Amino acid sequence: MTCLHTISKSPTSKLLSSCASVLKPGDGILFIEDGVYYCSLAESGRHPGADVRLFALKEDAAARGLSVHSAADVELVDYAGFVELCCEYEKIVSWF
Amino acid sequence: MKFSIVVYAAPYSAEAAATAFNFTRSVLEQGHDIYRLFFFGDGVHNASRLSVVAQDENNLQQQWDQLIRDHGLDSVICVSSAVNRGIVDAQEAGRHELGAVSAYASSELAGLGQLIDATMNSDRVINFG
Amino acid sequence: MASKNTNKAITFISRRAPYGDSNAQLCLEMALACAVFGQTVSYVFLDDGVYQLLKHQDARGIDSKTLGKALETLELYGIENICVDADSLSERGIQGSDLVLEVEPVSRTHIAELIHQADSVFNL
Repeated sequence: MTCLHTISKSPTSKLLSSCASVLKPGDGILFIEDGVYYCSLAESGRHPGADVRLFALKEDAAARGLSVHSAADVELVDYAGFVELCCEYEKIVSWF
Repeated sequence: MKFSIVVYAAPYSAEAAATAFNFTRSVLEQGHDIYRLFFFGDGVHNASRLSVVAQDENNLQQQWDQLIRDHGLDSVICVSSAVNRGIVDAQEAGRHELGAVSAYASSELAGLGQLIDATMNSDRVINFG
Repeated sequence: MASKNTNKAITFISRRAPYGDSNAQLCLEMALACAVFGQTVSYVFLDDGVYQLLKHQDARGIDSKTLGKALETLELYGIENICVDADSLSERGIQGSDLVLEVEPVSRTHIAELIHQADSVFNL
């Protein structure tokens, strides 16, 4: 079953490395809350590999003054998009 | 699709409480169902009716209460987390002679069985902490 | 409870050290409740969660319940699939003989499998 993983802490938490080590092809990662700071890293600092899509919650990025548009590998979604992703993937694993 | 939403974070302390609220509202706006809200650990503070905020601040507890009542949501506060954090309904307040009810009546104090029931009967369970 | 008679596979990932916050305790409580209600539970210790398994814990001095002892209830409640992330142990210099429970050290690949075959995952 495909998973959407949400990550809600900044890179200092190393949550992405824990999450990335248990991913399967077809999974997705959505950065929310302080997790959106992953979008300000160089692409190599956040990409867990092929076949994993990355998303960031628009409202959280905007609140923090981050321009996610400059991160070509991350798709911005709003809350409606967040809900759609939860339907698209078969379960949600929250990393907090 | 039927969602259940588990909230571990207290309002004002962690953004996750507000994230959970915005997510819940969005689920409803898109025509999906909420099977249950479950407030656990520090998340029980979301059901406090005794909070007062500055005029330019959102009262998240009041917003939850409004959303729960507007949509007739099933909302459960985990009793074991709630009582030791001072979140009590009329029954618990009476039993322990506390003299005040701190939980909104729109949520019900109940046990973890309600969370297990929610995982059994929902299409998606999402956690906010 | 309006529950249908369904059995679900639920995976718990316990990632926090004991005592500093309540996540480890909450995770344990949820898993025990799941077992009581007849669900198929897998319990994984990952990252700082492996510290919960250290022997010789005694939390009386900090007015807490000793979590290491409480973990024994996992087995008492019939939860058989308990495992610990091997990498998290070695990163922290912890040996199998340091642990309170007989738990199987497993790879991340195995944990990925437990996440993906579960109906729901609680990760805290």
